[in-house]
Amino acid sequence: MRSARLTALAVLSLLATGCQFFGSKDRVVVQKGQRGTAMEINYVAAAQQAGLEDMARKLPAILPPAPEMPPGPSPYQNLQVLNDVSVAEFNRTMTSMATWVAGGAGNCAYCHNIANFAADTYPDGKEIYTKAVARRMIAMTRKINSEWTEHIGNTGVTCYTCHMGKPLPSGLWFYTDENQILRHYLDGAGARVTTRQIAPSNANRTSVKQTEWTYALMISQSNSLGVNCTFCHNSRQFASWEQAPPQRVTAFAGIQMLRDINTNYLAPLASVYHPSRLGPKGDAPKAQCLTCHNGVYKPLYGFQMAKHYPALWGGRTDWSSPLPPAYTTPVAVVAPESSAAPAVAAPVVPGPGGR
Amino acid sequence: MAMLSFEKKYRVRGGTLLGGDLFDFWFGPFYVGFFGVTTVFFTALGTLLILYGAATGPTWNIWQINIAPPDLKYGLGFAPLAEGGLWQLITMCAVGAFVSWALRQAEISRKLGMGMHIPWAYGVAVLAYVTLVVIRPLLLGAWGHGFPYGIFSHLDWVSNVGYQYLHFHYNPAHMIAITFFFTTALALAMHGSLILSVTNPKKGEPVKTSEHENVFFRDFLGYSIGAIGIHRLGLFLALSAAFWSAVCIVISGPFWTKGWPEWWGWWLNLPIWR
Repeated sequence: MRSARLTALAVLSLLATGCQFFGSKDRVVVQKGQRGTAMEINYVAAAQQAGLEDMARKLPAILPPAPEMPPGPSPYQNLQVLNDVSVAEFNRTMTSMATWVAGGAGNCAYCHNIANFAADTYPDGKEIYTKAVARRMIAMTRKINSEWTEHIGNTGVTCYTCHMGKPLPSGLWFYTDENQILRHYLDGAGARVTTRQIAPSNANRTSVKQTEWTYALMISQSNSLGVNCTFCHNSRQFASWEQAPPQRVTAFAGIQMLRDINTNYLAPLASVYHPSRLGPKGDAPKAQCLTCHNGVYKPLYGFQMAKHYPALWGGRTDWSSPLPPAYTTPVAVVAPESSAAPAVAAPVVPGPGGR
Repeated sequence: MAMLSFEKKYRVRGGTLLGGDLFDFWFGPFYVGFFGVTTVFFTALGTLLILYGAATGPTWNIWQINIAPPDLKYGLGFAPLAEGGLWQLITMCAVGAFVSWALRQAEISRKLGMGMHIPWAYGVAVLAYVTLVVIRPLLLGAWGHGFPYGIFSHLDWVSNVGYQYLHFHYNPAHMIAITFFFTTALALAMHGSLILSVTNPKKGEPVKTSEHENVFFRDFLGYSIGAIGIHRLGLFLALSAAFWSAVCIVISGPFWTKGWPEWWGWWLNLPIWR
């Protein structure tokens, strides 16, 4: 009786492990370093596929390209941004923005006085704060696309990258107190806590608490991108740039970019927003990695949305041209089982060019 | 080699698992047996392969010699010798040698009419190794998931695997394993110090007996587990440590791909405080 029970248990565990064995086809492990270094990213293919399909389903249609139009004076008044594109492109961008940010193509009233689109105030004379904010956001988007190519590469950003159809993007943050770890994305205080010398000394006065802040900041980046520590670091020496994967350089540029947009675009809007939009200390909502990345390594799984909207390019003239290969990534090696689902692996695997 | 006077009577024939009488003899103090031969074969071949790998590698620095597993792209197939194939051969030799060693222990135990506690105990350590370089790579679908053979390189591997899951100390099986390791050390330290204390009394006093051992722990903790009990406990603690170590790595990847801190969401989401 006892041995029968034991046999049943053994068969059950064998079945369980067997199922797991076949289930392991679902695991995608991307090798990022020399063999044997365990520099790897782990994914569950089904979850990745579901996320990708969800993104594709929600993605608003790319509007047909605007027809060529002869240059001429714009019929619109009070244009402070987007005044350098054709009327057709302007209308196309405006319509898209309503879908991207205000929840529907027809929702112009989210930012406009319907009675007078050029006005900055409602008929009752109150400021339309959303319009003022949108102007800065357009300027910000253009700056990101034209000047932060070191971070955004050929993926680029549109309003939808962050807003995803909602007025408020994910991951907005406010000052709470000095424990607010995300302040590194605004005030430029360094997050380094490791001692850079070999021998211990009193030179490094960093506390355990500060170390925890840095760890929490790093984990927020990890969660924002859906990657682990070895995506950007070789953990045998976290601080070493020589041993780190090239993605760390991209991430470093991203931190610089966040500081730029938080300092120069988002924080200064505190006086523009409706008070209900402000944080407990009266500051404007600010961005972090999650705001654009939404849990994936490349926002929108690497879909090049910005390429289709030249009005958001800023100074950038051509989206198809390869970027200067400042930091090239070694071609990622993918575990054989992942090749069965290239649609999943493709957007998340850093290919040549790295970004 | 000289044999102790009583040793001869324990050198009995039979009890072999394989090979019958063929290898049923002693070489000096060592019992040979079929599995002694296979142990020597695999050990010698494996060591030579490691030396070959070191010779073809960039360094003879003992800390930096590294024989790495194949790239993940080779999956569960064979890799070229210079690109991880050597690691595969050395792994086969290691598994062969370790399993042979355990079976040799079993043969000796059979000869002596003992229980199989020793081969099972050693077998758990072998299981932990096999989990790392065979079971987990099989489950993940590539030999490249094994750890590299090198003093520094395997430590770097451990570090990076830990950080693949953001914070390995949150791995529940790792927590259990560590607890067992520390408890093993505590139990051994308490037991060892107890035995030394009763066998080293004050000058002129007789060596104390198990009554003293029991009384000390009854006075001290209200309970004495006893002379056999402490060895059962010690075996349980040590085997549990190795067993849960194997569990903690085999669930990382095949059963959980995210960060280990995130696994504890179920705790944060308990209905009593969520």
